[in-house]
Amino acid sequence: MENASYFLAAFAVAWAVTFGYVLVLINRQRHLRQEINRLKETIKEKGS
Amino acid sequence: MKRLILWGLGLVLMFLALYLVFLYAPIEKVMGIVQKNFYLMVPMGWLSLLSYFVIFIGSIFYLTKRDRKWDDLAYSAAEVGIIFTSLALMVGSIWARPIWGVWWAWEEPRLTTTLVLWFIYLACLLVRSLTVEEGRGATFAAVVGVIGFIDIPFVILSTSLWRGMHPPLIIFEEGGLDPRMRLTLMLSIVAYTVLYVVILMQRVAIRRDEAEVKKLKGLVSQES
Amino acid sequence: MSFWSKVIAITRKDALSELRTKEIISAVLVFALLVILIFNFAFGARPEAVDLVASGMLWVTFAFAGVLSLNRAFIVEKEDNCLDGLLICPMSREVIYVGKVLASLLFMLIVEAIALPVFALLFNLPVLTAQLIGITVLVTIGFVAVGTLFSALAVNTKAREMVLPILFLPIVIPLIVAAVKASELALAGKSWGELYPWLPIIISFDVIFLVVAYLIFAFIVEE
Repeated sequence: MENASYFLAAFAVAWAVTFGYVLVLINRQRHLRQEINRLKETIKEKGS
Repeated sequence: MKRLILWGLGLVLMFLALYLVFLYAPIEKVMGIVQKNFYLMVPMGWLSLLSYFVIFIGSIFYLTKRDRKWDDLAYSAAEVGIIFTSLALMVGSIWARPIWGVWWAWEEPRLTTTLVLWFIYLACLLVRSLTVEEGRGATFAAVVGVIGFIDIPFVILSTSLWRGMHPPLIIFEEGGLDPRMRLTLMLSIVAYTVLYVVILMQRVAIRRDEAEVKKLKGLVSQES
Repeated sequence: MSFWSKVIAITRKDALSELRTKEIISAVLVFALLVILIFNFAFGARPEAVDLVASGMLWVTFAFAGVLSLNRAFIVEKEDNCLDGLLICPMSREVIYVGKVLASLLFMLIVEAIALPVFALLFNLPVLTAQLIGITVLVTIGFVAVGTLFSALAVNTKAREMVLPILFLPIVIPLIVAAVKASELALAGKSWGELYPWLPIIISFDVIFLVVAYLIFAFIVEE
């Protein structure tokens, strides 16, 4: 079945791109959350 | 929390769809196993259309209500949309190669339509980054989003008539599709749609956080 | 003043300044003729080749000439700060859109009226038929409807004249497809009835985008 490689390639590409993108998004949000917390603490320290 | 449940649901559905595609759906006689790429192409094509609809809704509400959250939605849908549209093009290309012996088939109206849609998504994203004021960029992107959405029926119609084909009124012909194939296709569409919704929510949340960081940074520099 | 008299005033203003400077029409016309000349070298002028690519050549020429001329529609105003003056005038934004559409349509049609016979002459084609002229006018209306909206948008971005083609060309692809196909049939001497289904696509494109662009234009030029 020579066509099998095209079938597998399509699914590999689809899953790799989809989950690559999901990982990038999750990572980005984690960094943003950390930054928000850091900034909030800075503001609190200055305020007190 | 709600998003976490949806992530879980999306993941389960994705694996279930994968199981159906690999082990449950029968192998088509003429095209062979590569026909199963169909279960990727249809959901991807559907998502690139759905994403335009989301952009359209977001754009219309942003223009009329001037609320940032609608722009966040439109922007996120454009970004997620271009990812899935790029995927649709890649998968379509991998499908064209064994079927027609070429990587790109202009004869296939859905492939051609997807390419045009890809360029309109790009226009939508580019116009924002090329505008100096942020609010203005959002308005411009919304205008391009509305025009792009209205353009879609024309793109579909003209690219299918271009090669003397009838417009695809339904994405797949009902008759003759094996019930097991139909079930696999339906589940794949559902799985990708759920995944799309969570990714979109995640993207919107990131955009909100980015705005929050910007605001907090402004506060910090103000006080010091 | 009524809506239409204001519209005519804007169109007249553009036409008069064009009459003095002749910068849009002359430059676009030279550009269009150069494109035709280059196509001649690129594809060779053998009759078989011309039959194959003539209608495509025609529409590539007009689409690019359209981008060039529509770009100027608002850049001229921006350069001399006329746009702000125009916005201060006591009239709705829609008037500006319709006025600009009419002016750009006029310029484009003049360019096409000169380029088409030249095209016919150089390639020995039966261009001057009612069908082909009808198609040209209808498609140009569509170009101008979308182009005027995006031109007003592009002029407010960083890259200005680079932005218009990026926005304009993907949106008018259906129109170009329909125009090429319909002109191909018209050049082959087909009757109006045989141009179906391309004509309804072109006409509905024109109507829908004129209405939508009219409704949405105010958002672009505000402030």
